Amino acid sequence: MKYEIPVGPIHPALKEPIMIKCTIEGERIVDVDVICSQNHRGIEWIGMNRNNPVQSIYTAEKICGICNLCHPACLVIAVEEIADIRAPERAEYIRVIQSELERIHSHLLWAGVAAHELGFDSLLHYVWLVREKVMDTLEIVNGARVPKDTIMYGGVRRDIKDEHIPKIREMIEYYRQAFDKLAKLFLEDKTIKMRTREIGILPYEDAIKLATAGPTTRASGVKKDVRQDMPYFAYPDFEVKAITPDMLTGKVVGDVYDRIIVRLLEVKQSMEIIEDALNNMPKGEILAEPKMIKLLNQIKKAEGEAIGRHEAPRGEDIHYVKLKSGFEHLYSWKVRAPTYINILSWRTMLMDMQIADIPIVAASIDPCMSCTNRVIIADERSGKEKILTSDDLHRLSVKKTRRLLR
Amino acid sequence: MKAEELKQKFEEAGYEVWLKEREEGIKVKTKRVSVWIKVDRDAIRDAVEHFIEVSDVYPHFSIISASDEGDNVELNYHFTMGFGKLHEEYSVNFKVAIPKSDLVIKSITDMVPAVIYSEREIREMMGVEFDGLQDKRHMFLTKDFPDGVYPWRRDETAPKGTNKLYETWKEGAE
Repeated sequence: MKYEIPVGPIHPALKEPIMIKCTIEGERIVDVDVICSQNHRGIEWIGMNRNNPVQSIYTAEKICGICNLCHPACLVIAVEEIADIRAPERAEYIRVIQSELERIHSHLLWAGVAAHELGFDSLLHYVWLVREKVMDTLEIVNGARVPKDTIMYGGVRRDIKDEHIPKIREMIEYYRQAFDKLAKLFLEDKTIKMRTREIGILPYEDAIKLATAGPTTRASGVKKDVRQDMPYFAYPDFEVKAITPDMLTGKVVGDVYDRIIVRLLEVKQSMEIIEDALNNMPKGEILAEPKMIKLLNQIKKAEGEAIGRHEAPRGEDIHYVKLKSGFEHLYSWKVRAPTYINILSWRTMLMDMQIADIPIVAASIDPCMSCTNRVIIADERSGKEKILTSDDLHRLSVKKTRRLLR
Repeated sequence: MKAEELKQKFEEAGYEVWLKEREEGIKVKTKRVSVWIKVDRDAIRDAVEHFIEVSDVYPHFSIISASDEGDNVELNYHFTMGFGKLHEEYSVNFKVAIPKSDLVIKSITDMVPAVIYSEREIREMMGVEFDGLQDKRHMFLTKDFPDGVYPWRRDETAPKGTNKLYETWKEGAE
């Protein structure tokens, strides 16, 4: 007897709508279909038809609230290559620090969501409490907790001043102390281990074939990280190494647990990069061309095409940009966010899993979309329909945790 | 395999190939390299097959991008190659022009499974038909999105009336 359960399209905990249609046999998932066509904001269209290239930076920031630096970063890398603009040395270092601050807050946010999906709400509150420190630091540096609005063609708009540096160092020290406790809670806790080990496995070969990106692919043992492979900004100076779970446990399983390991280790790595960057930050200008009109004219005259790649917290971001001389918008603009490619792996991960595993497996790729709003279970024999809300699904997940604890 | 080697291999097979470079880094200098390969519309499957054959690891697919070039629609198939080593990755891009009079290209989903979402997206946004694509549902646009309207086109099939807000503001109308 096969049932089809649509999961989605809206869930208040996550940001964008998406629907996962699972076919189940008893408790076992036998087929998965992902339906994305819920809400398309036409960001690329706005960049190609309405905005000038500078306005498009701010539109790109609005693609995602959590990683609001990575999309403008990609756009800026591509346009700088076409128009041959070079950012000053100090600006490239500031861009690195901002990117890593973003990674810390995004990974901690994810860790909280993951704990919540497992029914471990005290851990969710603890992780988000710890996350406040980086949010405060972002507020000190950028003037706002979430939007950074700092990236610009040829540099950054805001300097990291001398009085900011002790605050950032204090944050690093805070996380250094909190890290061991976090690692112990996530990696040694019996409940988390039971709910995540051998769950939602993505084997190495599938990770490569499905072209997954970021922590999702690295947890399957693929050493792929744009900061290491094809560095940009000032990243060549830091010799970043892609983090895989075998660095901690000596083996790669490719399950949800491994994805937790990768993200935790990346928080530590980000702290080291920020510290290194603060110690070696060059002095000087932060913007190559402060006059906006002049900058816009320079971009308007430029012609060509380029790709911008940036390692966002969720994985590799790619923008393709084509400029035509005399054309006042971007002639072509294609944005590829990491979730675009990572949702393909849901099918492989969810196969043979249980309904109660859907929330944590879906969350394990850190999707920039919503998932578990309502589930309709249709009984083919009786023709009856039963609607499960996100709360029901969450309850199922918590129930499984309790069952395993017994 | 280095980018130059790949360029040579594709040139031997009769393709037009060019490299682009950009220097990055402050203290440690490195280059971001991209390889661009021009491919005939009918030869896309041969080109990708050749690419998989000559590569030592399976190529990592990124995205297909599209631009409206007047009489043609230009597609770029973006891949990356050589991950895992410090500063050695480069991007590989296949450039294909398809005439608007016959907007059809062969699907490569059986060779590169990850390409499916991208092909579905280009199909709805640009109106390019993929020969051999199994799943022809809308990807990002809603089910009831009208046929024959393609948001990324710059001709008469582009959506109409969408710029109204901006136009009114520009003209200073009510």
